[in-house]
Amino acid sequence: MTATSSAANAILLVGHPNVGKSVLFHRLTGAYVNVSNYPGTTVEVTRASARFDQQAMLLDTPGVLSLPSRSDDERATMRALLNENIRCLVQVGDAKNLRRTLTLTALLAELGVPLVLALNMHDEAAARGVIVDIPALAEELGTPVLATVATGGEGISELTNSLSQAQPPQVLLRYDATIEKEISATSTAITRLAAHPQLAARGLAILFLGGDSEVATWLAEQAGEQFAELAALRQQADLANQGKLPALLARERTEAADALATSALRRAARSSPLLAQRIGQYVVDPLWGIPILLGMLFVVYEFVGVFGATVLVGLLEKGLFEGILNPAFSDFVNSVIKLPWLAELLVGQYGLWTMGMTYALALILPIVSTFFFAFGVLEDSGYLPRLTVIANRLFALIGLNGRAVLPMVLGLGCVTMATLTTRILHSPRERMITIFLLALAIPCSAQLGVVLGMLGGISFSAVLIWVVAMLIVLMLAGYLAAKLIPGRRIPLVTELPPMRLPILGNVLKKTGGRLKWYLIEVIPLFLLGTFIMYALDKTGALPLIIRAGEPLVSGWLGLPKEASAAFVMGFLRRDFGATGLFAMAHSLSPIQAVVGMITITLFIPCFASLMMMIKEQGAKVALAMVAVIVPLAFLIGGLFNIVLRALWI
Amino acid sequence: MPTKHEARLPLAFITPGKTVRLASLGDEIDPLQREQLIAYGLAENRPIKVLQQRPMTVILAEEVELALEHAVARHIWVEKLAADN
Repeated sequence: MTATSSAANAILLVGHPNVGKSVLFHRLTGAYVNVSNYPGTTVEVTRASARFDQQAMLLDTPGVLSLPSRSDDERATMRALLNENIRCLVQVGDAKNLRRTLTLTALLAELGVPLVLALNMHDEAAARGVIVDIPALAEELGTPVLATVATGGEGISELTNSLSQAQPPQVLLRYDATIEKEISATSTAITRLAAHPQLAARGLAILFLGGDSEVATWLAEQAGEQFAELAALRQQADLANQGKLPALLARERTEAADALATSALRRAARSSPLLAQRIGQYVVDPLWGIPILLGMLFVVYEFVGVFGATVLVGLLEKGLFEGILNPAFSDFVNSVIKLPWLAELLVGQYGLWTMGMTYALALILPIVSTFFFAFGVLEDSGYLPRLTVIANRLFALIGLNGRAVLPMVLGLGCVTMATLTTRILHSPRERMITIFLLALAIPCSAQLGVVLGMLGGISFSAVLIWVVAMLIVLMLAGYLAAKLIPGRRIPLVTELPPMRLPILGNVLKKTGGRLKWYLIEVIPLFLLGTFIMYALDKTGALPLIIRAGEPLVSGWLGLPKEASAAFVMGFLRRDFGATGLFAMAHSLSPIQAVVGMITITLFIPCFASLMMMIKEQGAKVALAMVAVIVPLAFLIGGLFNIVLRALWI
Repeated sequence: MPTKHEARLPLAFITPGKTVRLASLGDEIDPLQREQLIAYGLAENRPIKVLQQRPMTVILAEEVELALEHAVARHIWVEKLAADN
């Protein structure tokens, strides 16, 4: 859909990060995007038809901290504003942070498109004694303002009803007289050279003078060679203000928003901090933070590692699949299908059902389900942003800041998904280091479950050796990567959203959404992997590979030669490979099990995450990472083999 | 009693529990991070409540809770409020 098509049908949800745009989007469309209680979850624009009007297309945009756009998220939102055929904007604001909300309104108002302001999380504002005079605010802005609680569905019908009354808001300020002259000159030139079909030239001028790169690109495309005139106007204005024009514009908007907020805000007295605020402070407390973190990790381990990976896997794999389904299905196939190769393809050693589907559904599904549920609870509670505070010092050692903990923890669920969320990091350097570390040393939940299941069965010290090995590799590789990749570390500044009691329904929906995503990705790859194994076995290539890999696998790593097959499987998915090792656990010694798991964890994650790495970093960088990771995995595995054999009694 | 302004101090030096007024953001702060801070609501003259200083500076600005590294907090200049101290 482009801005030039006839009927304006796009309704854009815009607003600060973590104000509930995605939850509201779900309420208005029924479509689900992954929603989290930490900023930066929506990394791309999502669109779906509106429930209340099938002609309308609703767009959920990434959160903007401020406009003109600076970050990837903000640029994505700006592109949507420039290129969509806008019917109206719904600015979603945090009711308890009215000043900040109105600072953004002050800019959106200049764009001259109809806008409705939804003051979301009204309940949290009320609990903090923040009362907004909504009728007064609506009158000042000249367009509907509503109080909503998207998580509870409050105010949603009022919001949809008000969309038809949306008006372009009253402009909130006149800038300083000199700046106004510059805005006016630029906006006249824009009208002449590159008029936008919907957005007001004045708004574009303010964004352009404020240094918005997306607006500049758009204007350059429209104006062609005459863009030079606009560029000259900006340069002139910037020089006249000693290069501080973007800051001056932002400051004046902030002041205007302050003035309006002061007139619309009333504050009720509040005797003591809320319980949620007190808990939030304990969690990042220097004394209590670490014990709380350890306690939290223990609970997650018990839920995912013990309940998911042991109890549920036991019930499904041993009870349901090996006990009932697989024998029944094998009998059925063998009685119906008379072609031996076909029967073997379905239910043989490398059978699509007996290996592919059994691995995917009986071994992996329970583990990822429990992990995604636990992760969802942590996300919605507001704990994860606080984890960035605790982890910051550790991450400073590897040239990152605590924000990188979020993709790393998400990587424990699914490295592919986590690679995508590295977009929340602010610099390309941080993204590159984090993606490299994710690919190298962060096991995904499926693999984690297999590792814990296998090494946990040997002894606690086997698990401990594996954990310590991963931490050492993570820290050393991170330290070296930070030294080698040019650029400097950015100190952490982060918002800590309030701690909230997660709502079970929302956590379940989110878990369901992620599982669907995961299974769609995992089942075809598991089946393809099984088929490749079957084909390699049938053509006689597998024994050849096993023999070729023998010096490396048996000589250097000290594993049985059949383990080569697991590494072949590992090329497709790391957890598939780990599961292959798990399947031969009875024939491995403790040292072989530990070395095998260390090597396969460090190995490249999976085909899907390799594709994601290429998407995020380009083929050259991604392949360079693989070229480092694969030899490194074998090198470290072999070193552990030597050390453990020397030390293990 | 009129509010008495004292010397400007780095935010990183303020005892937890105190409320101060933001005086200015130092030039040492990276320009992009500076815009980010303003967008979070750290505008001049706004009150800031310091919640803790270790392991990072945690403040409350309006109802936004922010965590800042000392590398940033030491370049944010604040004034104590006489009434609060």
